[in-house]
Amino acid sequence: MKEIRLANKIITKLVKDHVHYPDRLIADTFSMLARCGVLLVLYWYVFRLNGGVVNGVTFVVTAWSIFFYFSFSTLRLRDVSRSIMHDVQTGSVEVLFNKPISYLLYRFWWQIGFGLYSFLVVTIFGVLILYFLIGVPESMTLTLFLPTYLVTLIGASFLSLILYGIVGLLAFWIEDVNPVFWMVDKAVMILGGSYLAVALFPKFLYQAALYSPFGASLFVTHTVYDSWQSNWYILLAWQFFWIVFLGTVMHFLFVRAQKKVSINGG
Amino acid sequence: MEQLINIKNLTKKFNFPVKNTSKNWLKNLVRPDTKEVVAVDNISFSVNKGERIAFIGPNGAGKSTTIKMLTGIIFPTSGSIDILGFDPTEDRKKLAYQIGTVFGQRSQLLPNLPITDSLEFFGVMYDLSDQQIKKRSQELIEIFELSSFIDQPVRKLSLGQRMRAEVAVSLIHQPKIILLDEPTIGLDVVAKKSLRDLLMKVNKEDGVTIFLTSHDVGDIESLCDRTIIIDNGQIIKDLATRDLAQTFIFEKYIDLVSDNKFTNFFQLPKGLRYTTKAPNQITVVVDLQQISVKEAIKKLLDIFDVSDIDVYDADMETVIRYIYERDKASQ
Repeated sequence: MKEIRLANKIITKLVKDHVHYPDRLIADTFSMLARCGVLLVLYWYVFRLNGGVVNGVTFVVTAWSIFFYFSFSTLRLRDVSRSIMHDVQTGSVEVLFNKPISYLLYRFWWQIGFGLYSFLVVTIFGVLILYFLIGVPESMTLTLFLPTYLVTLIGASFLSLILYGIVGLLAFWIEDVNPVFWMVDKAVMILGGSYLAVALFPKFLYQAALYSPFGASLFVTHTVYDSWQSNWYILLAWQFFWIVFLGTVMHFLFVRAQKKVSINGG
Repeated sequence: MEQLINIKNLTKKFNFPVKNTSKNWLKNLVRPDTKEVVAVDNISFSVNKGERIAFIGPNGAGKSTTIKMLTGIIFPTSGSIDILGFDPTEDRKKLAYQIGTVFGQRSQLLPNLPITDSLEFFGVMYDLSDQQIKKRSQELIEIFELSSFIDQPVRKLSLGQRMRAEVAVSLIHQPKIILLDEPTIGLDVVAKKSLRDLLMKVNKEDGVTIFLTSHDVGDIESLCDRTIIIDNGQIIKDLATRDLAQTFIFEKYIDLVSDNKFTNFFQLPKGLRYTTKAPNQITVVVDLQQISVKEAIKKLLDIFDVSDIDVYDADMETVIRYIYERDKASQ
């Protein structure tokens, strides 16, 4: 009960903070327009050159898949690793370790609260714009779509937090986790379908996108493909497996990390 | 008297890798040599309910390490800690409900929002009901005189205002003990006095036990009834502050600077003595049990042609050195 109240308080306080200071929302919107918009224009052109279909997938499907990647990225869950690293490097971790809370859960809720407002605004407006500009693929009109999208969105959020949480916890040993962060982040971006929609992947890369935790942390991009209707439960099972497995790894890492604390000051 | 903290033979050793120039890089990476630093070395003491303890020492003495072991952040290498019946290494979360902590160099407040949001936020963290949070927040706003800046975002507050808010927030759950690590660091004289007065009030009225580390002799002098001095990880003194006061707390230092060079170093009146006699600066120690600062300044201005004057307390290094020398002399 307390955890739910605390999570709710963190999220509402941070949303309030963001509403007071809308600069981040403006930045996120422009970033989204620049990156996603330019990519979609390029894709539209390539699809047109190829008669409207590439690898059996239409531009509309690809555009929505890429949009889901970008809207999910506005949650900024990957920043949890930098927050943990910052806590360790500055010693702020001691302030949070002194509270009757789980440090990692606190950091996770904080990260969700930090990005939620931007995510909701950008997603709602993005969906409307895309709907009116290019319409929706048939897969998104099926009753299966919305519930499975929401389930995989929640799963993707947990898995991203765990994946990047593990990277952040490495700061207790190596202090600067940036090199590891970049490796993991690039793997997530590539296998999650940010540069190239996963439907256009060669077979071996597609398999890696399906069965690696990096790809599984962005299964939201798969929900618009026709194949989702037949394999959604397998992908959700894989996502669940990675959450449990990496969650366990993160727990053990955190127990060891707590014993590594050596804070500056005599 | 009820004992709240009981520490026995507490030791903390840190090991860290050091580069061995006679080894190649691979050996240094895979099997580095390690250096052991004993931050806290077999200390024992206890704290009773309602006491105001100053835990002092120079940089690197082991103060912060001890306070962090008391709160369960750092795990001891050996020895035992009993704080309010809890072992901090085992019961960190349960203990957190009973203690408050303030780290002078780290903020726990929400920077972009007003203090009321932080009070509300930490109230939820300590599992208080909405009604309790509202009532307690009002009390703290009144006690800590926060109302004049209550609506401002924390990042726009002065350091003194922020520190008052930090202490107020750390008391939201009515802890039995408050542990403060350098709470007055960076504050000006007025803000320091205000914070000390408030801490004294909380101790007197609510019976909160205060355990603070500080470099500032003024914190000890005006706030604490007992002083524990630590150096090189070992406790070198544990005594009533009034006993300590007989030596250095009742001493002030006065620097006198002149545009013209000092040439004559006259005999000083009773209660004053030289520590520095240089052509460009004289430093005089004032024994406050014999003469007030005001009187001392008047007399010094009568004797010397002065262009600038500075009055200050003995620094911690001087205090420690003084105690060492005094103990050596008495042996």
